[in-house]
Amino acid sequence: MATITAQLTVSSDISSYGGPSISKTMTMTKAGTGNGLERTSGIQRKYLTDKKHVDLIQGAAGVVADMTVSATSSSAKIYIKYLEADTSKYVTIGFGDAKNNVDLAATANNSNDASFFELGRLYGDDWMIIPWDGTSATGDITVHPSSATTAAPAIIEYIVFFD
Amino acid sequence: MATTTAAIAITSADLLTDALSLSATKTLHKAGSTVGLDQTTGMTKAYLTATTRVDIFPQLIEGSIAFAGTSSWVYICNESEDETEYVVVKIAGNIIGKLYAGDYLWMPWSQREDGHGDNHHGDITIAPSVDTGMWFSWCCVNEGTEYPTENLATA
Repeated sequence: MATITAQLTVSSDISSYGGPSISKTMTMTKAGTGNGLERTSGIQRKYLTDKKHVDLIQGAAGVVADMTVSATSSSAKIYIKYLEADTSKYVTIGFGDAKNNVDLAATANNSNDASFFELGRLYGDDWMIIPWDGTSATGDITVHPSSATTAAPAIIEYIVFFD
Repeated sequence: MATTTAAIAITSADLLTDALSLSATKTLHKAGSTVGLDQTTGMTKAYLTATTRVDIFPQLIEGSIAFAGTSSWVYICNESEDETEYVVVKIAGNIIGKLYAGDYLWMPWSQREDGHGDNHHGDITIAPSVDTGMWFSWCCVNEGTEYPTENLATA
């Protein structure tokens, strides 16, 4: 059994009384147990050389061959970072169908009856960490860069931890 | 200008042959700029005693003009200490994933307009796995807030 920890620290002076501030350490465990997650995709880097909407991480066996996630007992975690010094550039992170590489603007708006929904944007050097239910109908994680060329690709780093 | 900084350190000494150590720090900016985010919902501490799915940011109206193209960051933590208790987090009515006891998420939120007019399909919702009471914390740091207008209707 492995021990994986993720320590989040957020400090802010937005409020005059201080904060919001967060200091939280998560130990990644298998669903419903105290046993640590022990599988990972390893740290991956993806280079996007055009502005198409594509899958970053596919559900089920899309991460690694032996990956299994369950809609009833999945405890997977995903960390994603957009490696870009220019903070005006962003990548849009979504769930579901990447619409065969078409422009994101052409896809449907958020809906519980659609095959895609938009989560949020990572601007230059932003990162995120979320749980992942990779088996739902909208389980694939998609990405759409605002700027990407062969000479200046959008570079995205990610790692998956799973049961 | 306000300054909000988010940092993460992911470590494991025994997951792989060599130690895993991954860290990142970022100052939160308004969309496409280097101006710091300056609004927040504040940190909520809530004790939910039903498995009913609830909208945790009802004061934020997704898809509104105020939020179009803006930057928002969301923190949600399942504060339960019972390892069998979890919460299912959804956005747009679709599952992101489950947070088990002690788990949290930190993610951007587009609050994208829904496909059905005003059905709030950009909402972030949570549903506890048990109705015996679970503690949660959540917070949103953002750059635009549009509050619901007054509604005094009684029927």
